[in-house]
Amino acid sequence: MAELGRAALIVTLGLTAYALVAGAAAAHVGRRRLALSAQNALVAAFGSTLVAAAVLLAALLRNDFSFVYVAQTTSEALPTAYTVSAFWGGQEGSLLLWLLVLTGFGAAAVRLNRGWARDLVVWVVPVFAAVALFFSFLVVVVASPFATQPAPVDGAGMTPSLQNPYMLAHPPLLYLGFVGLTVPFAFALGALISGRMDERWLVATRRWTLLAWTALGIGQLLGAHWAYEEVGWGGYYAWDPVENAALMPWLAATAFLHSVMIQEKRGMLRVWNVLLVILAFSLSLFGTFLTRSGVVNSIHSFTQSSIGPWFLAFIAVVVAVSLAVVFWRLPQLRSPTKLESPVSREAAFLYNNLLLLALCLAILWGVVYPMLSEAVRGEAVVLGRSYYDFFLRIFGLPLLLLMGIGPLVAWRRASLRSLGTTFRWPSAFALVTGAVLLGLGAGSSVPGLIAYTFASFVAATIVLEFARGTRARKALGAASWPGAFSSLISRNRRRYGGYVVHAAIVLLAIGIAGSSAFDTVAEARLTQGQTMSIADYRLTYESLDERSAANATELRAKLQVARGDRDLGTLEAGKNAYTIEQQISNEVGIRSDPLTGEDLFVIAEQIDPDGTIYLRVFVKPLVNLIWIAGLVFLLGSLIALWPDAREQRRLVERTRDVGVPATR
Amino acid sequence: MPSHRAFGRVYTSAVARKANPARLVIALLVASVLAVFLLYTSIAGGGNPSLAPSDLAGRSGQVQLAGLVVGPVSGDAHAGGLRFRLRDISGPSKARVSIRYAGSVPDLFKVGRHIVLSGRLRNGTFVAEPGSMITKCPSKYVPKAESA
Amino acid sequence: MTLALLLAALLAVACVLTVALPFLREPEPESDSLEELDETERHRLELLEARDRALAALKELEFDHRTGTVSDDDYRALVGPLRREAAAALQALEGVRTFVTQVPVGEGRPTRERIS
Repeated sequence: MAELGRAALIVTLGLTAYALVAGAAAAHVGRRRLALSAQNALVAAFGSTLVAAAVLLAALLRNDFSFVYVAQTTSEALPTAYTVSAFWGGQEGSLLLWLLVLTGFGAAAVRLNRGWARDLVVWVVPVFAAVALFFSFLVVVVASPFATQPAPVDGAGMTPSLQNPYMLAHPPLLYLGFVGLTVPFAFALGALISGRMDERWLVATRRWTLLAWTALGIGQLLGAHWAYEEVGWGGYYAWDPVENAALMPWLAATAFLHSVMIQEKRGMLRVWNVLLVILAFSLSLFGTFLTRSGVVNSIHSFTQSSIGPWFLAFIAVVVAVSLAVVFWRLPQLRSPTKLESPVSREAAFLYNNLLLLALCLAILWGVVYPMLSEAVRGEAVVLGRSYYDFFLRIFGLPLLLLMGIGPLVAWRRASLRSLGTTFRWPSAFALVTGAVLLGLGAGSSVPGLIAYTFASFVAATIVLEFARGTRARKALGAASWPGAFSSLISRNRRRYGGYVVHAAIVLLAIGIAGSSAFDTVAEARLTQGQTMSIADYRLTYESLDERSAANATELRAKLQVARGDRDLGTLEAGKNAYTIEQQISNEVGIRSDPLTGEDLFVIAEQIDPDGTIYLRVFVKPLVNLIWIAGLVFLLGSLIALWPDAREQRRLVERTRDVGVPATR
Repeated sequence: MPSHRAFGRVYTSAVARKANPARLVIALLVASVLAVFLLYTSIAGGGNPSLAPSDLAGRSGQVQLAGLVVGPVSGDAHAGGLRFRLRDISGPSKARVSIRYAGSVPDLFKVGRHIVLSGRLRNGTFVAEPGSMITKCPSKYVPKAESA
Repeated sequence: MTLALLLAALLAVACVLTVALPFLREPEPESDSLEELDETERHRLELLEARDRALAALKELEFDHRTGTVSDDDYRALVGPLRREAAAALQALEGVRTFVTQVPVGEGRPTRERIS
């Protein structure tokens, strides 16, 4: 069956090449049937990629070790769910998944918009096809998932730390995000090449960008949760280049989501928006290049993977061509409207963009600095955690504050006096909260205290916005308070969905500040019966248990937890020894307090043969707010994404007015 | 229609003059962001050099060392220090650096694993900063390296 | 092995058919040109967008004033220009249908003069 897989991918390669050439020709010369044919090629490419994906999935599920990929990433004993996740666990399979999502999104985006934005779509097809062509080339020529071998008895198995529910969802979500950013990129470039610089490319891609951004955000939170529970060093984000690979495009996409609103409302920032979307897309390509090529630690590991140079070349081509197109269309991109006042919502969004971009570029600099310094000085210099923490605070804290200010400033111009009245109560609330927290001892970390104070300011502004909006709707004639509230949200989905997302970020900020600025750590060596204490907890080492599971031997130290005079139950921490993979993994014990949101985090660093254990224990305040923030984030995005019937009607009316036929 | 065109030109230049303060504010902001950046890199001094064991000889000061673990591994990381040796990840060099490490040992640590440590060379032994060990995940995306 | 090749051949044929479909459906079409918008239509679309934008901005200003985000003074200062903009956009739309003039509005490109 590997031949079917290989053939299907070659078909995809041919189809994307055709879609590129035929699509570009059709758009240039203006031939309808050829344009339609190119569109169909994109849809067919999804079909053939789906066939290839099905072949690989089937091979995985039946443990067909004659597929080199299957043998490398799974074993007989691996549970079925993780066997499925092995699809994206290795280089070749993950590239195939990328291609599958890419062709799927391309087919969908083109088909959904072909009715009302036909003259735009005609140029989007070749751009999309070009990207798909690159990835099909990779899976056909450079990294094929369908290499075969004489089947070994058993496969190599999966790294134990990847055998975790979070790893089932984390990569696919990230891919939805990375690949999703291709859609606004293709539409932007299509709009530029075709000269159709009206707002249609923004409207067409708005939901795609939001979807991709949400997927990228949730994917990263899942990854952080995995790192927290599974890798278990006591943290959730290590500023590792692979983590930054997902954060950078997310920050650029956040900036884009905001500045797009300015273009929609005021027609400004056209050049800026196009450059931002090119940046976001390029960063997502760069991010996946970092994760795969092995450039991460030093240039020496570059030669280990042959995929690196191809990615770099493609990124260079993408950036060069995109910038050339932007430069070519620059005269048409100039907008006649200008920024009227540095105190306005447009200006606030602009400051937000600058801060987000500054943070994104600071992270990018931190990631590439070792490679650059090695190339220039012959020695790789690595920037540590303190570098990233500094810039996160310097740019992140003002961003947090701005999140509360921006939505409450008027468009075009706002007088300072009106700002004073608007922000009177939120500022008072924030100052009081800050003073109270200072009294409670939060002064031990100045950035933490500032984060708490700003977060309370933003929370107050969000509550105020919802309250005043509901009251206004009630005055406009809503039947009841709940009715006013729901009609408020349903009539302004993007705005109030956005506020919910802001609330999620506030929770995130509080959680991060609490768990990193105000945490406690203690270490102790314990024999059976001994107690250690940390903060107001007491842990007593009761016993050491050994159990055997399906593919591992589990060693667990049982600890009795108490706080004050209350018994809080038992906690287990220890290690797993995986038989086939010959690896040991740390299994941390976490006790989450439902009232305060803090975690008691226990790592059994070392378990000696005589039963003595060495423990490293953390108390992390408010850390669970981070995961709750993820749920609120999802809710806010769903509200913003929800289709709006009124808006759809207006769009259709506009196109019908101009004379574009509804469908064909 | 000359009057319309003249009006248009006057209008746009009037708008442009009024918009100047906003442009100035933006420019100042960008400049201050850059200033912050430059200030940090000049004061905090950037980062630590990342070296391979074969480059370590004679180096003083805090560095980051990346290499493959060579046995035998002895000692206790939480009592007296874990002792092992480190060699280059790739290349012909036969250099071996003695390491003394105290602090958390990541699960993936074993002979042959690619690890990264921070610390300094002291009397021929590389004394690592407590807790600074990072192991590189046996990468699923990179073809398996040749065994040590 | 042969099953795989057979399926592959079927797949290839299906894809070729999909790609050729537009040509097979309409071997002799009346017009094969892409329905493109000409200059006037495109300009009209831009003016429509300008109109919708101005109307939406007015609506938002009213709502913001009602919720108290925008003070009375600010509202008075802002509502005048916005109303004029919306009126100008509506007027410009009327203009494109019959004859075209240079309209000094914030949005929209200056149009060619044309009398039809």
